[in-house]
Amino acid sequence: MSESVTAMGATMEPSPYGMQSKKLTMWLFIASDAVTFGSALFGYSYLRVGASDWPRPFQFFPSIVNGMVMTAVLLTSSLTMLGAVSAAKAGKKAACLKWLGATVILGIIFATLHLREWFHMFADGWSLSKNPMGGPVIFGATFFSITGLHLLHVLSGIIALIVVGIGFQTKWLDENHVETTGLYWHFVDLVWMFVFPLLYLMNAAR
Amino acid sequence: MADSGSSHQPEPQMKSYVLVWIGLLFIAGIEVFMTYRGFSVHALLTVLLILAFLEAGVALLYFMHLKYDRPLLLWSFVISIIFVLAMMNQIWPDAYRMVSIGHH
Repeated sequence: MSESVTAMGATMEPSPYGMQSKKLTMWLFIASDAVTFGSALFGYSYLRVGASDWPRPFQFFPSIVNGMVMTAVLLTSSLTMLGAVSAAKAGKKAACLKWLGATVILGIIFATLHLREWFHMFADGWSLSKNPMGGPVIFGATFFSITGLHLLHVLSGIIALIVVGIGFQTKWLDENHVETTGLYWHFVDLVWMFVFPLLYLMNAAR
Repeated sequence: MADSGSSHQPEPQMKSYVLVWIGLLFIAGIEVFMTYRGFSVHALLTVLLILAFLEAGVALLYFMHLKYDRPLLLWSFVISIIFVLAMMNQIWPDAYRMVSIGHH
């Protein structure tokens, strides 16, 4: 039977992992969530490849350009998250909180751009079960469910970052909590690296 | 501070992260460029998936620190995820069969 060891107040995994339990738990969650997104994206890709009349609704401007901006914003938020983790580990609380704040703001910008894209599509007649261009109606179901699941992760991450920021400031949480939350945020960015090319670029209007 | 599973490799500086960030933006730009090269659906999907996995690998190794953590963490998760994704990858022949029989 494995024994947990407490080091500096944190539960540690025994050898061979030898890391804090919360970090290993976050990695386990990331692995399961990766398979969830992987199966959703594979299911979508199967339908996409198997349909000769799959709609391509995304014009370069504004849709693909919007997607490019969203990609840049999310990648930059990963960079600011790294700044927060580095500052936290160096004991620079004020710097860490500024970097966390920047990450939250970039996350909110991403979510806003995403929702704006959605509302434009709704106005054009798209929904979970409607395709104004003709062809497979399931385009809407796959697009909105996958991007919606990702957006839910982004919003959850924003809330987590705010909680961790407040906790770090009040010393309720420490730098390892910042690092663990950072892992989640990078995972959200990593998922977008698949969502953008598969759901937007594969459906770009030619 | 408390051990977080480090394999004692030196932690990268912010400058390294910025270089990785620039690289990831560049790969994303290549994806957009490839989209308008006139590839078939199959070819475009292949190219985009390769580039996406490349981006993901770089993000995992550098942003998520797998390069600097214990190798066991890397091999435990990466191998199992690769196995699952490889199993899922068997769907493509059936997807192309649907097109060839005019299912849609």
